[in-house]
Amino acid sequence: MAIGHLDADCFYVSAERVRDEWLEHRPVAVLGNNGACVIARSYEMRECGIRTGEPIWDAVKSCPEGIYLKRDFAWYEVLSRQMLNIVRDISPLVEYYSIDEFFWLAKSQSSPVALRDRIKKETGLPVTVALARTRTLAKLFAETVKPFGAIEVLTPEHEKQLLSELPITAVAGIGGRRAARLAPYGVRTCLDLIHMPRSVVRSILTITGERIWWELQGRPAMPIQNQKPPAQTISRGGGFTATDDPAVIYAWTVRHLERLIEELNFHEVRAGKLSLWIEYRDVASGLGEVSLDSATDRFDLLLDACRDALRMAWRPGMKASRIDLTATGLRGPGLIQRTLFEPESDPRKEAIFDLKRKVNAEMGRFTLRSGATLPLSELYRDPSCNYDICDVRGKICF
Amino acid sequence: MCQGVALLESEMPWFLVEQHARRIHRRGEGVEGELRFLYRDAEPMLPIWHEGVWRVVRWGNRRRRGKLPPTGWTWKDTVEAGGWTSFGAEPVNILCNLAMDKGVWFRVRQGIRGLLVRDEMDDELCVYMICEPATRYYSIMTRSDRMPTLIQEVI
Repeated sequence: MAIGHLDADCFYVSAERVRDEWLEHRPVAVLGNNGACVIARSYEMRECGIRTGEPIWDAVKSCPEGIYLKRDFAWYEVLSRQMLNIVRDISPLVEYYSIDEFFWLAKSQSSPVALRDRIKKETGLPVTVALARTRTLAKLFAETVKPFGAIEVLTPEHEKQLLSELPITAVAGIGGRRAARLAPYGVRTCLDLIHMPRSVVRSILTITGERIWWELQGRPAMPIQNQKPPAQTISRGGGFTATDDPAVIYAWTVRHLERLIEELNFHEVRAGKLSLWIEYRDVASGLGEVSLDSATDRFDLLLDACRDALRMAWRPGMKASRIDLTATGLRGPGLIQRTLFEPESDPRKEAIFDLKRKVNAEMGRFTLRSGATLPLSELYRDPSCNYDICDVRGKICF
Repeated sequence: MCQGVALLESEMPWFLVEQHARRIHRRGEGVEGELRFLYRDAEPMLPIWHEGVWRVVRWGNRRRRGKLPPTGWTWKDTVEAGGWTSFGAEPVNILCNLAMDKGVWFRVRQGIRGLLVRDEMDDELCVYMICEPATRYYSIMTRSDRMPTLIQEVI
């Protein structure tokens, strides 16, 4: 048995090229939710020095011949699930790690080349596939053969040969800070890390580093998860054009609350605590936290909590550029401790919220929404704004 | 506002490609050429689909001749309010795969709405690009406050 890893090559750009083949070989970038930053770029655009996260106005200067596209997560999800189904066809245990990255338990006769070519043929997407003894090794070796690569490394000798050439920072989970902590021990390459004593690795890199150490030796320490573990927290939020208009800031808060409640309903949990975090352009961020008398998913009760949290996080006159709402203390329907101060049930309100859920399920998200979101009407007019990467469900990673 | 469009060579009839060969531009080595139509060209023109026929016609009235507005664009609101009725204007599709605004090239799926009028001064057809206030996304992407009215598409 081996672990397989699949990573789609510049996935968003490739997905756009599936439906518009003429974009092939042209410098292409996909822009994020606000149209301001590059979130994916083709290899042709990378040659111009464009990086992920770069503002479009800088990218246009470096790459005036580039073609800039608006993101379409609904379309990317369609292709992602097509790839997932193909991988599930060859393995009983598949982890949907992210929209463009999967791990799976591979049978011994699996061929990474065959899978790569099958995905290209059936979906049109170029991917890189690697087979190795652990997921860390598979992901690491996949990076060495991108794009449209396929590699199989199943013997310790072959692993050592490749690991001796890879810097320690190539391992997912070891960034600049951890590499700096390892440097005094003479650790430069992945092979150097393997040669360190386990206890030293654990003392420097904690349990996470120790798992990596095991995995680099070909001993699985990170299992494949074919189901997302139950959420401990659920968040919704995002950035926007900086504003100090209270009505707009409140509108964003309510929009995120409605999205958060959708997610609570999907996971069939209720929130015991609500946190609201505001990022300001010129001053330190603000935080408001409210514990609810009883865990709830009711819009009116959570909105009251949101208002209280907003007052705490509010900096009058300061321009806010991002709001995040986080629900914690999540409880399933059968696990709720009732209190002496239980909010009264209100059949009329319950009926309205139920109707809202049904209408939106039938007619599309946000068909019925709070009037407080009216300052964002333009955003709601654009259907692509109603579907974000976090709405692609079932992924282990964001 | 949108200052140019581009159309893939393979999407245009060969005789028009030949006529406008000087407009062919390639974005990379070995990549199919595209015909660029820019408002800043000496003779600004746009490719359109009119009465079942491909045409490349004059873009607006930059030469400031006759009674036609001396620009290349018109507001969608003006069209809908009947501001062009007296010119005998008719709707037309501007065909393109890409459009450019303030240096940003972006994909266009089906084309851009245009308005075709006859310039009585020289009995020549000319087309105005219809535009509307930019959406938030478009205005951030291009830093432009007006956007072309796209066919069945919003950016």
